[in-house]
Amino acid sequence: MKKLLFAALAATALSIASPVTAQQTPPNVLVVGQIAEPKSLDPHAVTAVNDFRILVNLYDGLTRYKDGTLEVEPSLAESWTISEDGKTYTFKLREGVTFHDGSRFNAEAVKFNFDRMLDENHPFHDTGPFPLAFFFSSVEEVTAVDSLTVEFRLAEPYAPFLSNLAYPTGLIVSPAAIEEHGQDFGRHPSGTGAYKFEEWQSNSRVVVSRNEDYWDGVPPLQAVIYRPITDANTRIAEMLSGGLDVMVEVPPDSLQQFRDDGAFSVYEQAGPHVWFLILNMKEGPFADRKIRQAANYAVNKEAIVDNVLQGTAEVAAGPTPPAFAWAYNEELEPYPYDPDKAKALLAEAGYDGETLTFYVTEGGSGMLDPITMGTAIQADLEAVGMKVEIETYEWNTFLGEVNPGLEGKADMAEMAWMTNDPDTLPFLTLRSHAFPSEGGFNSGYYSNERVDELLDEARAATDQARRAELYKDMQEIVQEDAPWVFVANWKQNAVTGANVQNFALQPSFFLMLQDVAKP
Amino acid sequence: MSTYIAKRLLAAIPVLFGLSIIVFLIMAMIPGDPATAILGSYATPENVEKLNRDLGLDKPLPQQYLIWLGNLLQGDFGRSFTLNRPVLDEVLERFSATLILAGTSLVLCTVFGLLAGIVSAVRQFGWTDRIVTFFVLIGISIPSFFLGLLLILLFAVRFKLFPASGMYAIYGGGDLPDLLRHLFLPAVALAVIATGVIARLTRTAMLEVLRQDYIRTARAKGLSERKVIYMHALKAAMVSVVPVIGLQAGFVLGGAVYIETVFQWPGIGAMLVKAISTRDLLLVQGGVLFVAAAYVFVNLIADVVQSILDPRLKS
Amino acid sequence: MTTAVDTDRPADKHARRPSAWQLLMNNRLAAVGFYVIFVIVFVALLAPLLPLQDPNATSPADRLLPVFTDGHVLGTDQLGRDVLSRLVWGTRVSLLVGISASLLAALFGSLIGLVAGYWGGRADNLIMRGIDMLMAFPYILLALAIVAVLGPGLLNALYAIAVVNIPFFARNVRGVTLGLSRREFVDAARLSGKGHVSILLTEILPNVMPIIVITASTTVGWMILETAGLSFLGLGAQPPQADLGSMLGQGRSLLFTSPMISIIPGITVFMIVMSINLLGDGVRDTLDPRLRAGALNRPMPVTKINRRTTPEPPGDTGAAALSVTGLETSFESTAGPQPAVKGVSFSLRKGECLGLVGESGSGKSVTALSLLGLVASPPGVITGGTVTIEGRDMFTLSESEISAFRGSKVSYVFQDPLTTLHPLYTIGEQVAEAVRAHRPVGRSDAWSKAVELLKIVRIPEAEKRANAYPHELSGGQRQRVGIAMALADDPDIIIADEPTTALDVTVQAEILRLLQVLRQERGLALLFITHDFGVVAEICDRVAVMRFGEIVEAGNTAEVLGNPQHPYTRRLIACVPRPGQGRAFLDGVRELPPETGRTGRT
Repeated sequence: MKKLLFAALAATALSIASPVTAQQTPPNVLVVGQIAEPKSLDPHAVTAVNDFRILVNLYDGLTRYKDGTLEVEPSLAESWTISEDGKTYTFKLREGVTFHDGSRFNAEAVKFNFDRMLDENHPFHDTGPFPLAFFFSSVEEVTAVDSLTVEFRLAEPYAPFLSNLAYPTGLIVSPAAIEEHGQDFGRHPSGTGAYKFEEWQSNSRVVVSRNEDYWDGVPPLQAVIYRPITDANTRIAEMLSGGLDVMVEVPPDSLQQFRDDGAFSVYEQAGPHVWFLILNMKEGPFADRKIRQAANYAVNKEAIVDNVLQGTAEVAAGPTPPAFAWAYNEELEPYPYDPDKAKALLAEAGYDGETLTFYVTEGGSGMLDPITMGTAIQADLEAVGMKVEIETYEWNTFLGEVNPGLEGKADMAEMAWMTNDPDTLPFLTLRSHAFPSEGGFNSGYYSNERVDELLDEARAATDQARRAELYKDMQEIVQEDAPWVFVANWKQNAVTGANVQNFALQPSFFLMLQDVAKP
Repeated sequence: MSTYIAKRLLAAIPVLFGLSIIVFLIMAMIPGDPATAILGSYATPENVEKLNRDLGLDKPLPQQYLIWLGNLLQGDFGRSFTLNRPVLDEVLERFSATLILAGTSLVLCTVFGLLAGIVSAVRQFGWTDRIVTFFVLIGISIPSFFLGLLLILLFAVRFKLFPASGMYAIYGGGDLPDLLRHLFLPAVALAVIATGVIARLTRTAMLEVLRQDYIRTARAKGLSERKVIYMHALKAAMVSVVPVIGLQAGFVLGGAVYIETVFQWPGIGAMLVKAISTRDLLLVQGGVLFVAAAYVFVNLIADVVQSILDPRLKS
Repeated sequence: MTTAVDTDRPADKHARRPSAWQLLMNNRLAAVGFYVIFVIVFVALLAPLLPLQDPNATSPADRLLPVFTDGHVLGTDQLGRDVLSRLVWGTRVSLLVGISASLLAALFGSLIGLVAGYWGGRADNLIMRGIDMLMAFPYILLALAIVAVLGPGLLNALYAIAVVNIPFFARNVRGVTLGLSRREFVDAARLSGKGHVSILLTEILPNVMPIIVITASTTVGWMILETAGLSFLGLGAQPPQADLGSMLGQGRSLLFTSPMISIIPGITVFMIVMSINLLGDGVRDTLDPRLRAGALNRPMPVTKINRRTTPEPPGDTGAAALSVTGLETSFESTAGPQPAVKGVSFSLRKGECLGLVGESGSGKSVTALSLLGLVASPPGVITGGTVTIEGRDMFTLSESEISAFRGSKVSYVFQDPLTTLHPLYTIGEQVAEAVRAHRPVGRSDAWSKAVELLKIVRIPEAEKRANAYPHELSGGQRQRVGIAMALADDPDIIIADEPTTALDVTVQAEILRLLQVLRQERGLALLFITHDFGVVAEICDRVAVMRFGEIVEAGNTAEVLGNPQHPYTRRLIACVPRPGQGRAFLDGVRELPPETGRTGRT
């Protein structure tokens, strides 16, 4: 009897085990390994790059980034004009575009989109929250001039406006679908994009299919399947066993394995990302600029970038990532790794060996390998005589601790930002008026009047050359003041099967799949 | 019997009720709030406060609890803050996935635990006993998450025998063989510890029973050794093994947290870990209630089976 | 558990009882566990003195070196830190946390259990409901939530694990305490005016202690696993401090490229937990009184036979239903074999009743059980002699052959039918089973035969009572069931081992009468084992007196009773009180021959 039982078990095991080798994705269907389940497919309700990777294929905005750049080009808006004072933007909309649900895209729809986000009295404002609505906080009024002309009136000149329209927060959703689904729109999305929403099986997949009527050319792929696989190892295992066609955010150490394997192609693309340490300037040792600079000298950024991150990032020189090519100050050299100079600065500043509390997160958007990096930094600082104690927090708790400001809690904290415009990061994190008490993210309390002036001016300037000049000045001052330890600029990576064609990563970190083919 | 079951079910209500209060209190004590989780990197204190107000989280705790309880009594588990969907929808989906995984594991560990325990007791000190004991020891000593990783490394990546993660193949799947294929590795990883525990206990219980006078009586009657062991001894041993199987249900449900994380099984354990980290109070409440109810239910079954086995317990 | 076997077992344990430590070390697996964990603890304790590199010194350029690299025997981790050094220091941390958490959980869990069990009633109910709640909460989530409340850090993880494990201690300790607090010595202490705290500490705690130690020794390993689990989820040790779980957790992201940095701590956790489990099992086996008696050994279907002598049975076996020659049975113990039956010979003629008389411990029950190899083995061994039934030596038969004799040719009626009847089967089932044991009888036929047998032994309302469980019957009825079972297959010989001892006098008389009637009606031979000469006088044709495993006197009942030769026989006869005897009875009993070289056990 026992033998029979074992035989039966063995037979079952064999029968369920055998056909896995046939795990190949069908042609014209692209399976993408995501790092998490999307929060929502309502582009106005989300903030995570992971969700953007789906959204930018479902929706279009009035503008979009030109392939391979962070420069804006027309999308649903065919053209636009900006008034002399920089306060009125008039967009001419593309004709004959329909949403996936069949309703028409027009000026009223655009107005509906922005009113929903910005007007608390809008009947569908309660379908939020809209965490990034402040991207458009300068918008005073949106008017549908005629069915294909829409006018935005701003309270003040706001240079990043066009760029923000290209961000997912500016993607245009179908008003009809919002009216139909209300709060559940996030699970029943409808846009104008190259792919139509098919199904969202919680924790398993989001499926989108080709939009046969796409205004910018029907995409070659029949369907894209997004699979949330939070565990990087599992993602790798799936990629290796052929269950995925595309995998993003490959752990640095596994990248080599894929490079060496002809069955895969590896892609890398630098983007507007900066990884840094916020230093608490309000109290403790880091109130002293010399000690902040010492920390910048003490951390061996090359070792972190080359070894820990295996070359998937570059050393950051200042607050602005080089991906904003036009605004980046090329003359800025990163703080060199110079422990002796750090020690000298510490001695000069009279650092008394006070223990520093260092907030480290376990993961999180753009944080790369935060524990390992934090540990390496801690060891570097200890090496020059700074006593550092790490406290680790899970990402949401971490944000809950860091965003309200470090005062009374910690001396330093890890942080990373990915932004779409050189204005966003410094404006939110380096201005005197961006202290947490005033609703900003300046958790380390950096305050420099000159920087404030430069940022305000750059925001109002409509001339890009002028803005570039201002930002470059700002970078120099900030680097010298060292409110942060500037650590790394990430290069996003992805691996695809060798049969995936026309795949490219964008500096925006968006995953544009409109032209990808997989015969 | 039915009054007994009814009484036990009634007794479960205060347990679940108390549990829901505990969950509420713990969640209230955890620093941070769902608003931060919803707003992500862009959560300023100001936005957080506003959102908390919108979500009704600024109300005093007892009031929040009563609102929740009132809704629950009408069958409404509320809406998850972070997933933006009804708690019940999410929990039912997740819970059924966990039931499949944990149920399979429970069956596996019961069958193999009993078999191993019996064989090991019957062949005490023989080679079979030694081998079984050895594997049982490995089983109860190996961290299940480590075992899970090793299984993936070996059977999914190296030999490509089983899929590495998920519950169904993405296309062409969805049928039973597909589910079984995905189920195999996580169910095994989850069952290992419980199998060890049950095997050890069965072995001890069997050995203890085999020393009893009534076993000697059975032998004195001239019954075959097979009958002595598989009828007389096993039945008596089951009386002490059955409640432990019930307890293992708790461990299997708990262990599912690791296994679901490692194998990307879309179950309730992984959901709860995430819900705790995002402070999604109502989702945690709903999830914990379901898990606790399952635990209570399995133990009820164990007790009922026990009292059917042992008529002495009825009086 | 008092069984006939136990009672009759030679008991010179006091002489050379091994210490708990020796017992532990005798258990080979436990010893292995002990040495492994000893080495691990030793190395962990010595970590500061060992020539190890700084466990936190990073060297990113030398990261992920493979094992056996010069200067890094176990390689380096993702920051170029020496894995060996981190392993040793990490083990230190993990052990410390696991053991501290166990102690904390043991302390508070036991306290709760003691209080709940001692006071009982409402307090107990309330506490146990709370414990139920904790247990219904998936343990790892509870730990997770506690850490989330307290904030990250090793100490907080320790508290979380301790809290999560409190229920196990509380439940175990409560169960034992509940039993103890109803016992006489606790009542006595209460009456003597001791306070509750003092009773708990001096009367109950010492008795509960073994349970606490056992629970602790079996949960330490589990605790270390859980610590590792929490650290694995990132909730334990804060970087750069190493502990095994966080090493595993952090190494996990490199599982595919550098599996060794997670496999090494994984295996270490495994080794620690395994050795602790082995040791814990050993401790449990040593401390648990049930296990201590003879370790949990599975009795074989037939007593082990290892005969040094196989004497020929006497020639006249033709007339004898059963003949026993030079039977020797001993019990193996750590102090060597202890003989219980030392060369007993007797024979039983067809239709005859032979009384085998002796005190507890005289070897009479062992003799009876030896006849068909029913002495529990281990520890019992038949070391010599022959038992002949129907011309065949029982000790040469195979297991199935001897089974064929059991119940059909020779059947047993045991003492104490509450333990000798299976508690979970109805008496009808048990009798019917005996009916079917040797003959192909259908279920329903067997059942009606069983009812018939129950009628024969005069169970009232047999049809109905057949569906009763043993615990639902009176002692006398149970004994009748035992006899009915023995009659099921029309045996030639019944061996009745003190069948009436546990019964009151009137029931005893009825049972004896029943046996007598059955014997006469069916022509059975009866081997009747008892310590009571009064009973012998009533039913036995012949009698053999046993003492210290030997037959000291044998003969016709009337002769032996009328003219006892051996002083021991005289004393046994004197033990039967006669009405009007007065103080003379006590004098007779007091005439005890000195015992030689052994302490008696009652």
